[in-house]
Amino acid sequence: MMRPILLALTALLAPALVALSLAVAPSVRRRGAPAAALTILASLASFGAAVALLFEHSARLTVPWLRTGARVIAEVGVNVDGVSTSMLVVVTFVALCVQVFSLGYMHDESPPAFGRYFAYHALFLFSMNLLVLAPNLLQLFAGWELVGVTSYLLIGFYYKKPSAAHAAVKAFWVTKFADMGFLFGLLTLFVATGSFSFNVALTPPVAVAVTLLFFLAVVGKSAQFPLHVWLPDAMEGPTPVSALLHAATMVAAGVFLVVRADPLFAQAESTRTVMLVVGVGTALFAALLALVQTDIKKVLAYSTCSQLGYMIAALGAGSMLGGFFHLTTHAFFKALLFLAAGSIIHAVGSNELSKMGGLARRMPVTFAAFTIGALSLAAVPGFSGFFSKDLVLEAVAGKLGSIPLALLVATAFLTAFYMGRVLVVAFLGAPSSDEAAHAHEAGWSMKLPLLALAALSLVAGFFAAPFAKLHGQAYHFHFGGVAAVGTAAGLLGLVLAYTLSSARIARATRAVSELARGSAVDRFYEYSFRRVTLVLSDSLAWVDRYVVDGMINLLGYRTIDAGRGMRPLQTGMAPDYVLAVVVGAASLAAWTVLR
Amino acid sequence: MTLSHCLILASALFAIGVYGVLTRKQVIAILISVELMANAANLVFIAFGRYRVPSAVGAAPGQLFALFSLALTVAEVAVGLALVILLYRSYGDTRVGLASELKS
Amino acid sequence: MSASIGFGFVAACAVLSALFVVRVKNLVHAALWLGVTLIATAGLYAMLDASFLAGVQVLLYVGGVSVLMIFGVMITRKHDGLVVEAESTSGPRGVFAAVGLFAVLATSIVMTPELDGAVAVETVTARHLGRSLLVDHVLAFEVVSLLLLIAIIGAVVLARRRDHGVERKELPAPRREEVSS
Repeated sequence: MMRPILLALTALLAPALVALSLAVAPSVRRRGAPAAALTILASLASFGAAVALLFEHSARLTVPWLRTGARVIAEVGVNVDGVSTSMLVVVTFVALCVQVFSLGYMHDESPPAFGRYFAYHALFLFSMNLLVLAPNLLQLFAGWELVGVTSYLLIGFYYKKPSAAHAAVKAFWVTKFADMGFLFGLLTLFVATGSFSFNVALTPPVAVAVTLLFFLAVVGKSAQFPLHVWLPDAMEGPTPVSALLHAATMVAAGVFLVVRADPLFAQAESTRTVMLVVGVGTALFAALLALVQTDIKKVLAYSTCSQLGYMIAALGAGSMLGGFFHLTTHAFFKALLFLAAGSIIHAVGSNELSKMGGLARRMPVTFAAFTIGALSLAAVPGFSGFFSKDLVLEAVAGKLGSIPLALLVATAFLTAFYMGRVLVVAFLGAPSSDEAAHAHEAGWSMKLPLLALAALSLVAGFFAAPFAKLHGQAYHFHFGGVAAVGTAAGLLGLVLAYTLSSARIARATRAVSELARGSAVDRFYEYSFRRVTLVLSDSLAWVDRYVVDGMINLLGYRTIDAGRGMRPLQTGMAPDYVLAVVVGAASLAAWTVLR
Repeated sequence: MTLSHCLILASALFAIGVYGVLTRKQVIAILISVELMANAANLVFIAFGRYRVPSAVGAAPGQLFALFSLALTVAEVAVGLALVILLYRSYGDTRVGLASELKS
Repeated sequence: MSASIGFGFVAACAVLSALFVVRVKNLVHAALWLGVTLIATAGLYAMLDASFLAGVQVLLYVGGVSVLMIFGVMITRKHDGLVVEAESTSGPRGVFAAVGLFAVLATSIVMTPELDGAVAVETVTARHLGRSLLVDHVLAFEVVSLLLLIAIIGAVVLARRRDHGVERKELPAPRREEVSS
């Protein structure tokens, strides 16, 4: 009984300890390398503990946190079960890979910036583990907000760059807006049931209200339409950060919340329908936008939105296993893709696809890793993405008249197509720039994580059955009609991407380019902001300036006028004062006598 | 000759003193007017001492008060005249409007 | 009856001389008229069976204060013989204040009914006063003597001629305020 608790506490507290010591010991942090070593050691400890937890029983340790009198309102602690353990393994593993990769990628940073980067990473890992191991929704919320903060810090890591600072702020307040939903959901839940538990029985209206509020937070965190706008901008952060936070783990926290609170969501069928619609819509919409991006990280960012849409759709269709398994495989192959992209960017010095080309020969390891990631994302049979995406497609089949299924198959085609295009443009053909022509593979600190993640992307699919067992479900693979259609769509996409010329692709996607260039959603927000918020603020400012201030100024001026008016009374002439005394005394006497 | 007659006479003298204070310009003339007022007040003390209102108690309180008041008035005159001399020495004149620094 | 005639005469003297005090142009005359008022008041004191006070009034006020005032006038005014111009402001302000004050006081006196019921008490002699002052109220007496001492010292300090040190200020131009009000 004690062992799983100790392991979970190790996983949780090792990064916390490092983050804390790096915060209070700036001298260590500013030296850079020791901070990185400490952080990676903490991640290693976390990862080791997480793997060990896979072979342990469920366990739970809570200590009272908030109480009123004898009643405990909230508890903190660790909760070890199938869901938290598998998420913990994913998170710590990807974090470890990303941190090792960062050793090479961030090598050119100054030591203080290097140390700060790893301190943020330690803080992030602690926050994420806090979220994952949370025994109740309140602690999960605390972790949720903390990862939001670290996301803000890491997106704005190059804070001297205005676009990065702007993107950090944008990410922060878009997700913060969504987090209001979480908070109100928590309050509603607490008022209705008096607890923050994942698993309580609710009356149907309350269940729908609470889960819809939670879903708002999920939409923000997991970058679903229409709050996806912050994720592409978040690519301003360092590429390993994009891999860890904005592809594999943090954005998946939204999906994780739905998985975690599955008993609550199971009681609200209408919320699930909303999730299905939003998920499918986001999957298709983001895949379309990914088609026309010229920045390799933006392609991957929109692809992340799209894949998160898959997960949300699966959860909306009631398949907790499908959503969660896709989360797991996606974490591996999307982190792999981002790190490979980071490797390219590190070599070429640019995010632009048009500056790449012909990298396959120059960077064989990166090429192999990226290809594995891309094929997995395109759900080619045998790769991990195939199994998880198949689960998702199976889950939505038959829901809402198979429209979601059709749209997700179309999305699978688009996904394969845009990934194929990136592969072709970046790695095949002739180099498009001098940097691309002279690109070379980075050191082992960057190659090793790529290889590890590539291996997992290859084989993770075959662990679907143990994964399902971990969650008390059965999984039997069968290559049915849905899988065949999905695979055909993916393969068609890849083939088309390889055979069609760039010009034809550009022509075919012109409408989408128009949409993307205008970035309609952003423009809508800006428009509504200008039209509603700014006008409202302006009118309030007008009231403040002319009515409130006016009254104050009026008071001030009247006081000055009154003072000026009373000044002649002070003549400095003694007889005048005597007169005043006489009049006052006589008045008092008259009042006393004549009253 | 009753108490109220005396009091009305005192009031008249006091009012005349006030008039003098308000209209005179020389500080010393004002001082003279103040003496009129003080004198009227003394008259009130003595009148009340003579025609004691039945409820009052004590041995000769009115005349005692008048005596103290006289002493104080004399002191006031001494200091007041010293001030007048100081004023004269500072401004070369004793008009009351000169010492109006209190105004600003 | 004769007392009433006497009171009326003395009262008339006091009021008339007081009016002269505040109205005459010559400041020396004003000081002299003040002496007349004080003597008339002393007469009233005598009528009110306060003969000791009457004596003190004549000695202290008439002999002391009035003479002091005359000296003050003489010292502080450039004079031509014994004529010292007294400036007065014109205007209804003083009249209004004085008449109003008198009206209020007189009305309140007339409207207080107990005053008419007041009776004369036994005559207070100098013996009474002396015992009262030096036995019953000796502390107050001593305090007053201290006050007089302080006043004398203060007057000396204030009026002492400083031949060096403080420079005599220039006479500023007459101010408008003095004339206007």
